[in-house]
Amino acid sequence: MASEPIVRCIQVSKSFHRGSEEIQVLQSLNLEVPEGQFLALMGPSGSGKTTLLNLIAGLDRPTTGTIQVGPDVVSSMSESELARWRTRHVGFVFQFYHLLSVLTAYENVELPLLLLPLSAARRREQVLTALELVGLTDRMHHRPGQLSGGQQQRVGIARAIVTNPTLIVADEPTGDLDARSAEEILNLLTELQASLNKTIIMVTHDPRAASRAQRILHLEKGQLVEDTGAAMTPGGAAAAS
Amino acid sequence: MSGYPFYFLVTIGSVIGLAAAALVPFYLLLVAGDFVLNRLGDVDPFSRAAKFVGLMVKNLRRNMLRTSLAYLAIFVLVLVVVGVWSILAFLDLVTAEKSRDLKAIVTERWQIPSQMPYAYAYPLSQGAPEKEGDIVIGPDDSMTWQFYGGYTEREREKQTRDNLVFFFAMEPRKVLTMMDGIEELTPEQLRQLAQAVEIMEKDKTAVVIGADRLATLNKRVGETITVYGLNYRGIDLEMKIIGELPKGRWGQIGIMNRDYLNDAIDAYPARHRGQKHPLADRSLNLVWLRVPDTEAFKKVANQIMSSSAFTNPAVKCETAASGIGSWLDAYRDLIWGMRWLLSPAILVVMSLVVANAIGISVRERRGEMAILKVLGYQPWQIMLLILGEALVIGALSGLLSATLCQVVVNEMIGGVPFGIAFFPSFKIAAAAWWWGLSIGSITALLGSIWPAWTAQRVKVAEVFAKVG
Repeated sequence: MASEPIVRCIQVSKSFHRGSEEIQVLQSLNLEVPEGQFLALMGPSGSGKTTLLNLIAGLDRPTTGTIQVGPDVVSSMSESELARWRTRHVGFVFQFYHLLSVLTAYENVELPLLLLPLSAARRREQVLTALELVGLTDRMHHRPGQLSGGQQQRVGIARAIVTNPTLIVADEPTGDLDARSAEEILNLLTELQASLNKTIIMVTHDPRAASRAQRILHLEKGQLVEDTGAAMTPGGAAAAS
Repeated sequence: MSGYPFYFLVTIGSVIGLAAAALVPFYLLLVAGDFVLNRLGDVDPFSRAAKFVGLMVKNLRRNMLRTSLAYLAIFVLVLVVVGVWSILAFLDLVTAEKSRDLKAIVTERWQIPSQMPYAYAYPLSQGAPEKEGDIVIGPDDSMTWQFYGGYTEREREKQTRDNLVFFFAMEPRKVLTMMDGIEELTPEQLRQLAQAVEIMEKDKTAVVIGADRLATLNKRVGETITVYGLNYRGIDLEMKIIGELPKGRWGQIGIMNRDYLNDAIDAYPARHRGQKHPLADRSLNLVWLRVPDTEAFKKVANQIMSSSAFTNPAVKCETAASGIGSWLDAYRDLIWGMRWLLSPAILVVMSLVVANAIGISVRERRGEMAILKVLGYQPWQIMLLILGEALVIGALSGLLSATLCQVVVNEMIGGVPFGIAFFPSFKIAAAAWWWGLSIGSITALLGSIWPAWTAQRVKVAEVFAKVG
C-alpha cells in the first residue's frame, strides 16, 4: 500500500533575476514524495534540482505554486516561521559538509538542538544517539580538521538527524568523497531510510549514488522529464546500476 | 640620544610592550572563559545561553592573529583615551567650585606672575582682619608660597632642563596641613614627610625634592647641592637633600624653608654694595587660605580686597578653583583639543578598527552564517552572535587596558608625565577601569553593527549557489 505523500509540490515555478534578465529555473512543477521514500533528483547543471531541494527544505520560496510538507504549507511561511520549521522538520546534508570548524563533532551535532527547549541531559542523549547511528562516538571530541572527509560527512548526517526531522535533504552528499567513503555514506543513508523510515531527498550527479534511491527523478530545464520509480528495493541492493 | 625623541620612543616602546604583555591575560581569559562556558553548557538553565556565548568565544579563538591585532588596537586606543580623560577629569575637579572647606588664593591683582611684597605675608595669612567681627584665619589654615628656581650647574652653558630644580619656599609644617595631594599619600609616606618637615624646621638648608626630579638631577637623599638662582639671580643656595617627595603630582618639585630664601634676600645687599635684590620687595608669590564655606570665603575676600594695606600692588582673592582656572586659560586651546578633537577622533578610530576586523571575519564566515540559518537560527540570533564577539573583545580589551594603565602609570611611573600649568603629571583616575570597560564595549558594539547587520542578511540560497 502506497504511503501518504509527505511532500507535495503543486504547480511550483521559480525564477531569478540577473539584471533585467529573468531566468526561469522551475516551471509549473508537480511532485509528490511519499513518507519514508528515498528520492534521488538528477539532472544536468542548471536544471533546477538544487533550487527544488531548497524550496522543499524551506530555504527559499517559490515564485508561484504551493509546497506542502506534512501538514505545513512551507511556501506561505514567513522567514522566521521557516527558520523555526526547518529546525524541527528538516535535516540538511551538504556536499562540503559545512561543519563549523571551531566546534567539535559533538558540538556541531548539538548545534540545531540549542534552538529547541531541551534540557542539557536530553540534548546529550540525542547527540550521542545520532553519533552512535553514524558510528562516530569515538571521534566526538575531534574538530572537523582532525576528521577525514567521510567522517566529516557522517558528522553532517548526525547533525541532520539529531532533531529527528520529518525530512532529510542531501545536496550531492558524496560529491566530495572518494569511492569508498561515498559508498559508506550511501549505505548510511539507506540504513537510516530503512530503519528510521526517514524521507530522504538527495540531489546527485552520480548515477551510482542515485541507484541507491527508491526513486529517481530527472529534471531538465526546470521540468520533470523522467520519473523512475522504485530504483531499488527499500534497504536492499540497487536494482539498476 | 636624549630629549623629546628619546622620551617619545620610550613612551611608544612602553605602550607596545605593555600591550604585548597584556596579550597574556587576554589569552588566559579567553581560554578560561571557554572552559567555564563549556562546563556551564551542561548545567540547566544556563546551558543553551552558555553554549551560544561559548560559540562567540570559540569564534574569537579561530584566528588569533586577527583577534590579537584588534585587541591590541583597542588596547592602545583605550590607553590613550583613559590617559586623556584622566587629565581632563583632574582639571575639571580642581577647577570645580566647592561649597565647603574651600581654598582661596591671594595673588597680585594685575600681573601674572604674581609678585607681592613679603610684608603682605603676615596680614594676608590671617585674612587681613581689621575690625572686630572680621574673620581671622587660623595658623594652620594658611600657607605662603615663594618660588625659587635654579640650576645645579654653575656655568651657563651647562645649565639645561635636566639640572633645573624648582622650589616652593614655605613654612615647612604647612606641607602637612595645606598642600593639595597630602591626602593621597600612604601612611608611610606621610610619616617620612613629617620627619623631613621636622628636620627642615631645625635646619633651614634642608630640602625635599620630588623623586622624578631627583632622578633627572642624578642626585640622592643625603647629598648636598648648590642651586644657582634662576629667578633670584645672584642668590645661590647650598642645600641638603633630606627627603624625597613621592612620584606623580609632587614628583618634579622641591620644598624648602622660606626662611632660608628670605635670609638670603636680606643678606644680598651686604655682598652687593648695599643694593637690594631686584626681587627683594616682590618675593611673595601666593598666599593660600582655607575657609569653611562660601560665605566665609566671600567675607575674607572682601576683607582682603577692601583693605587699604594692599594697594601697591593691589591684590585679588579668589577661590582656588577660579585661580587655577585662570592659570589654565593659557592651555585652553590644548584642553579643548584634547576634549573635543582627540578623544572623539580616537573613539571613531576604535570603532573603525573593530568594524574592519569584524567585517573581515564576517565575510570569511558567510558560509557558516548561512549554515546557522539553514539549521534554524533566526537573523537576530546571528546578529547577536557577531555583536557578542565584538563585545567580548572590546570589553576585555578596554578593561585590561584601563586596569593595567592604572597600575603601571599610578604605581610604577607615578602619573602621566604631561605637564600643564603647575601640574607636572596626572594620575590615572580611579574610575578608569569602568571607563575602559565602557569605551571598549560601546565602540566595539558601534563598530560591529554594520558587519552584524550584513551577517544576518546572508541569503542562504545565494551562499550555497556559490560554494556548492
